[in-house]
This record gives sequence, C-alpha cells and structure tokens, in this order.
Amino acid sequence: MKLQLNMTVNDEAVNIEVEQDARLLDVLRDDLGLTGTKEGCGVGECGACTVIIDGKTANSCIVLAASMDGCDIKTIEYLSKDGKLNPMQQSFIDNSALQCGFCTPGFVLSGISLLDRNPNPTTEEIKEGISGNICRCTGYEQIIKAVEDVRDKKYVKDGACNE
Amino acid sequence: MNNIIGSRTPIDDALAKATGEATYTADIKLANMCYGKLILSTIAFGKVKSINYTEALKIEGVIDVLTYKDFPNIKYNSALRFKDHGILKTETVISETVRFVGDRIGLVIAESLAIAEKALKLIEVEYEEYKPVFDEEEAATSSIQLHEGLNNKVGTISTGADAETVADLISKADFIIEDKIKIPMVNHVSLETYSVIGEYRSKKITVYASTQNSFAVRVLISDVFNMPLNKVRVIQPTLGGAFGGKLEVVTELVAAGAAMKVKRPVKIVLSRKESMIASRTRNGATIDVKSGVNKDGTIVATDFKILINTGAYVGSGMNVIGAMSHKLLKAYKYPLRYTGSPVVTNTPIAGAMRGYGSPQAFLGMNLHIDKIAMTLGVDPVELNMKHIVDKNEVDILAFGNPELKACVTRGKELFDWESKKKEISKFNKKNQDFIRGIGFGIGAHGAGVYPAHQDCVNLLLRLNEDGSFNYWSASHDMGNGSLTAQKMIMSEVLTTDVEDIEATQVNTETCPWNLGDYASRGVFVEGQGAYKLADAMKNLILETSVLKFKVHKEALSIKDKKVWLDDKPLGSFGDIAVYAQTTLQKELSVLVDHHSIAGRTSYGAHFAEVEINRENGAVKVLDYVAVHDSGTIINRYGIEGQLEGGIHMGIGYALSEKMTFDEKGNLLENNLKKYQIFKSNEMPEIKVDFIETGDNGGPFGAKSISECATVPSAQTIINAVANAIGEHTNTIPISKEEILNIINK
Repeated sequence: MKLQLNMTVNDEAVNIEVEQDARLLDVLRDDLGLTGTKEGCGVGECGACTVIIDGKTANSCIVLAASMDGCDIKTIEYLSKDGKLNPMQQSFIDNSALQCGFCTPGFVLSGISLLDRNPNPTTEEIKEGISGNICRCTGYEQIIKAVEDVRDKKYVKDGACNE
Repeated sequence: MNNIIGSRTPIDDALAKATGEATYTADIKLANMCYGKLILSTIAFGKVKSINYTEALKIEGVIDVLTYKDFPNIKYNSALRFKDHGILKTETVISETVRFVGDRIGLVIAESLAIAEKALKLIEVEYEEYKPVFDEEEAATSSIQLHEGLNNKVGTISTGADAETVADLISKADFIIEDKIKIPMVNHVSLETYSVIGEYRSKKITVYASTQNSFAVRVLISDVFNMPLNKVRVIQPTLGGAFGGKLEVVTELVAAGAAMKVKRPVKIVLSRKESMIASRTRNGATIDVKSGVNKDGTIVATDFKILINTGAYVGSGMNVIGAMSHKLLKAYKYPLRYTGSPVVTNTPIAGAMRGYGSPQAFLGMNLHIDKIAMTLGVDPVELNMKHIVDKNEVDILAFGNPELKACVTRGKELFDWESKKKEISKFNKKNQDFIRGIGFGIGAHGAGVYPAHQDCVNLLLRLNEDGSFNYWSASHDMGNGSLTAQKMIMSEVLTTDVEDIEATQVNTETCPWNLGDYASRGVFVEGQGAYKLADAMKNLILETSVLKFKVHKEALSIKDKKVWLDDKPLGSFGDIAVYAQTTLQKELSVLVDHHSIAGRTSYGAHFAEVEINRENGAVKVLDYVAVHDSGTIINRYGIEGQLEGGIHMGIGYALSEKMTFDEKGNLLENNLKKYQIFKSNEMPEIKVDFIETGDNGGPFGAKSISECATVPSAQTIINAVANAIGEHTNTIPISKEEILNIINK
C-alpha cells in the first residue's frame, strides 16, 4: 500500500508517495537521489546510513519512511549544499580520517551531532560518541583525531548542523 | 627533492568521500535499469530437482526468473588473474548441484529490489539432499566427495627443510612440543557489500563492479559467454573497501548473463548477509605444529602442517597454500618444514583476504613459540630474537633488506616491555578484579606477487596544455591510497603538486592492461611503474625543450613545473605542451611497462597489553605498539592508516570475529550484530613506528604495508591473554567462557 508523505529534506519540502514498508534509507537513495547515505548492514549496527532526524542522529536503514511525516531530515549532502565544507568534513580530509569513504558520511554526521550535544568532549567521550559507526579501514585513530581537532576549534565553526 | 615523499597527504579522492559525492557501484542508476536478487541454496549439499517460480512471475513488476538453464554450463575459477592462468576450474555461474548454504541457483529480475525480494519469497526449490561435511580435517579424509574426480584435499605443497632432517632433529632434541590450533573462517566485511551492474547494448557487455581485478573479470566474461575481449568492458567505480574480498569474480558473470537475457541493465547489490555467505571469506585452518627444543632455549627444528578450508569451490585454495609456503621461511632462520593443503568443504567459498595465508601461518607459529617460551620459562621476545632472520644473512633479492630484528628492538623500547613486565606482576598481585598480561607477535608478507607469477603493469601519462597531467592506471584503489602514493611518486619526479595529476577511473577499455590489485603491489610494483612513467615524461619534456629552446639537453633541468637552463626558467610545462601541439603537431604522452624483478618482504613486530575482567572474562586491550619495516615511507598518512586499520582487523581476529555454522551449514554470525567488529570505544590507543632503511626494488626504496599490517596482530593479543591467565586457550577467537574456565581452575 502506498502512503503520502510530507517531510523536509535538507531544507527542502518533499511530498512523495512511498510504500508503507519502505525504509527511509531507500527513499533517500532511490527516490530522492541522495546517495551519500550508504547501506552497510541493514540492521542498524554500522552507522553508514546515519542521517539527522529532527536534530538527532538515526540509522535510516531501520526507520520506516512512513513514520517521517512532518519530520526534518538532514543528510550528508546538506553540509556542503552551499559549496562550502562543514568544518567536520574539512577535518576528516585534513586528518586523513577516511580511506574507502563508505562509512565517512555517517561518521561526519555522528561527529557533528556529538559536538552539538557536548561541545567539549574528552577523547573517551568522542570514542563513545562515535561508537555507533563502524569503520573497517582506519582503526579509528585518525577519525578520533579529526573530531578532536574540530572540538579544539582548529576549524572555524561555520558549518550547518553544528551552529 | 620536492619533499612530497614521506609527507602526510590525504587520499586523493578525500573531498568526494567527505561530501558523499563519491560514486560507488550501488549509487549508479542507468536508464531502463532493473534489479536482480540472487536465489541462494538453503541446503549445504545436494542437487536442485525443481525450481517453481510460477507464483513469483505473477507479481507485477517481476521481469524474469533465471536458473542454471539460462547460463552457460562452463566451469571457471573465480580466482583467475590473467588469460590461461592454469588453475583448477570447479565453479559455474549458476549451479544445479549446490555445495553450500548460499550457493547461487538463480536470479529474480524485477523493476525494483523490493519487488524482487517479494517474488523470491514465493519461489519453491526442491532439492535432492546429500550429507555435507564442514570441517577441513574431517573433509580431508571423508568419503563424502564434493566434486567429481577431485579429492577434497586438493593438493599439497611442501617447502623448507626436508622431512627426514626435521624429523631427525626433533627426535634428538631435549623436549618435543606439539600444538594443534584451529582457526575459524572470518569475513572481510568491507563496508560496501558486493555490488555489480551488467549492461548489454549493441552486442557489447559493460560491467560496473566493486572489483579489485577488472582485467581478470573481463577475461572470465569473455571465456564464459564466448565474447570477443574488445566487446567486454569492465569499469570500477569508487570501491568501498575490499581487503582481498573483491579480488575474485562473484556476481559479475550473473549480472552480465542477466543483462544479455533481458536486454536491460541489471543491478545486483548483495545484502550484508548475502555478502557474508555468498562472496568470499578468509580460509579457516587447522594447524599441527611440532618442534624439537633444547634446554638452552634453542628450537632445533619445526614441522609446521596446515590444512586450510577453501570452502565449496577450489578458487584460491592452491594459491593461498603456495603463497603461505614461503612466508614463515622469510621470518625464521632455523630448520623449518612447511606442508600445506587446501580442502574443499560445504561452507562458503574462501578466497583472498589481507595477508593471503600469512595471518593464519604466523598466528599458529607465534602461538606455538609463545607456548615454548612459557614451557621453558623464558622471555618470548628473547626466544624469537634467537630464531628470526638477520638483516645480513639472507638472499637480498627474495627478502629485500629485512629489518625484522630492528622492528622487534624498537618496538620493545617503545612499549617499555621490561618495565611493563614488572608493573604487571605487581598489578596482578594486588588487584582482585582484573588481571593484566603482555604479548608479542611478529609477521612478514610480500610486496608484489612475483615469483608466484608475472608481476607487471602498464601506465600512461599525458601532459596537458596548462601543465597538468592525466594518468591512466588500472590500479584499483580500494581506499588503501595506492593511487595517491603513485601520484606522490610522480609528483616528486616531475616537481608538481599531487593535485596536478588526475587519475582516470579503472576502465578496461581506456586503461592500459594491469593485473588486479592484490599481493600489496600498489606501491612496490605499480608505484615503481609510476616512477618510470614520470621519469620518461621528464625526459620527453626535456627533449621537447631542446627543440623549442635550441639548447643542449645536459644543461636543462626541471623545477617547480618549469624547465630551467641553469638557474634561469625557460618555460612552463604547459608552454612545452603547447609547443608540441602547435609546432611538432603531437601530444606529449608516454606509455611505460614495468615488471617486478623480485618479490620483497615487509616485516612487523607488535606488542600489546590486555586487561581481563576476572568476573566475566572480558578482554580489554590497554596498549598497543607496532613497528614495521616497509622500506621508505611514501605517504605517512597512508601507512599509518593502513597499519592501524590492519591492527583493528587483527584484534577482531583474536577476540571477536568468526564464521561458524549450525549442523545444516547455516552461518550463525550472519549479520553485524552477531559478527562483531571492534568499535571505536573498544580500541586501545595505537602507537606505530617504522624502520626506514629502504630497499632498492621499489620506488624511493618503498616496500609494502597493507597486508603485512594485519599479520602480527591477532597472535599479539592472544599471547597477551595467555600471559595474563597463565596458559593458552584452545579457541580462536578467544572466548570469555574459556578464559573463565582457566582462571577458575
């Protein structure tokens, strides 16, 4: 059965008909072409499909699209919509906090969300804060450093989600 | 020097990856594309009697259901590297006989993946079931035969000291120490699952695939579908991790055949579970190792025997056993005999995975030596140092300037091994709730595939009118940064910036021929090719400058992207390119080939401290030090990231990752909740360091890191746990239950 869905995605109003059992991840990727959000596990364990729903991170592979009526959703594409990188993105690049890049959008969003909640986390709190995401390439060292650098204001906070 | 070599340079496509713009295979949508869902065997061994898909076809949006009748019944080996690679062929695109839970028996094609998934549930498969065999030891001698005309134990390779000498030395030693070590299969778990799109237009096949081996995929498509090679094109979009798991053909042939059948592009993206059971795994192994040891702490000889579980099809089996056969001999200098065999079983197909046999071999050997050290009551580092290779006592062509001893010495210092020993002893006497232990492990792995077979690359570079370059390299970067390293090497030679060189996507139609990306050849082989390529371009720029500026070549040099006469700039690279186009009426481009004259060896020594919770047996890794000999470092960011990632994988191998099966052959750890990968909050801080003596076979003296990174890791953790609890457990990964059993004895 199809349902009518109204939501805001990356600051744009989206009115779309979705299957009752469609996952938010598939609607974002297949219907809206926002392929920066990835599927890594399908069970909400790896965080590659992380998006921000009403200000909080969520695994879009286990969110029903139909439940998103009236919600505000931000994906990785939102961060550099104006052509300027979010400080977290720049820090990931500068710290070589990415290799294959498949987990990167999820980690960037989790890092931003963590600093939103706690602008001055300890290293242990950073490790905890990004533990909902799996990286198979880096061993996390460079990712932790990237978040630390944003925390330490090595980048000007001019980004979107961490205003 | 341009100071690029040894700098910290982010991976070349970092911007696209940080913004989400990088396009992976699953992100591609072609016009008129449809979606395929594999029908996988639900039994471990048998024959398909019938597949009833009448109901499935009735669902709106279902296009077709294909079975073995729709695909050529041609046997191939998915591990093929090049045309006429003589390896055993046991696999077909779609099977009538199924040999593991997950074997491909068909494909549902529909307008969407959701429709294909719905249709799959309505398909009824009837099987004639046979009794399966899952364990490599059991299968080696079982009356159950997986493939007609083929022993389950496919073959045997022996290397090192001869059997009689080793047996004699062991029998005369003061003690004989024997171990049996079982290691389960594990999975690569590249975050991107196996993905492919097949397209068939105007009698030409294009396959977009998450592959590390485009040219071999092209040969296999041509062989199986009887297509001319110039009508087969393989393209590698951004690769979301591979670790060897995307080296072999998995779904490429299915997608190609399906596209030919329905005359529309067909996309197949495996789910995590499918990717775990129906792509490739790391071989499980059974190791029987026996050493003769004298009271003075000398290991006089070791007899090392290994059976690897290669899964339901032979695939890489013999190749892994062959690759493994040299590795221990590159690290240990006393009489050691290696005997290895691959065994087919009714489990998912094994293939290449980071280290290609070395992690299993060194894990077994390092555990064994650790037990010997425990038995003798000597320090395991000291015992190893007595038996590992010296820098100056080896054939330099095969070994490549081994600095293993220097790695051990530096690592021991950085880790503060001697002080830690004392601290731990104090801690364990005082603390009631936790026990600590320290462990040590070594490893070695190659740089390139030679001498297993030829190891060569062809590369093309063009100078543009503005002084920038385009680079055609069929080097499959999988996130490991091999392309970035190649660009850095060329930039150093050409005095350019890394961003001045743009690499094309791997495409078998536009890139010169290359082997796939395996055997840690991205820097040592392809990087050396890139060095030659840049040098040839430099020469071409200078020769063209001679014509343009009417000066002697010997007086010319290049610096800052310009040609100089002594200390005077004559013109930019762009000026030379424009001159070539307008006056000489040609483009400045060079094509070079490079082949490796020797396989070199990289080394590493790791140290770890662990803490065990006495109440629940949980292991926490507190501290970790790794020192590697990879020759000269090209990209410090690249090598650090690869090493830390390799250690992360090794820690999982020791403590959490495994693929085990129920009595029907179903994988128990079939999703990422059950198959546990270490998270950021479970990882210790890792200190890494390098011995950079260099080696003359690779670019600027570089060897390799990517595979070697993971080789010493698991045993370091396992030995640390054994150090803490006073004995080695018999299971890998180490289970909390077994730790508690030992503690509470």
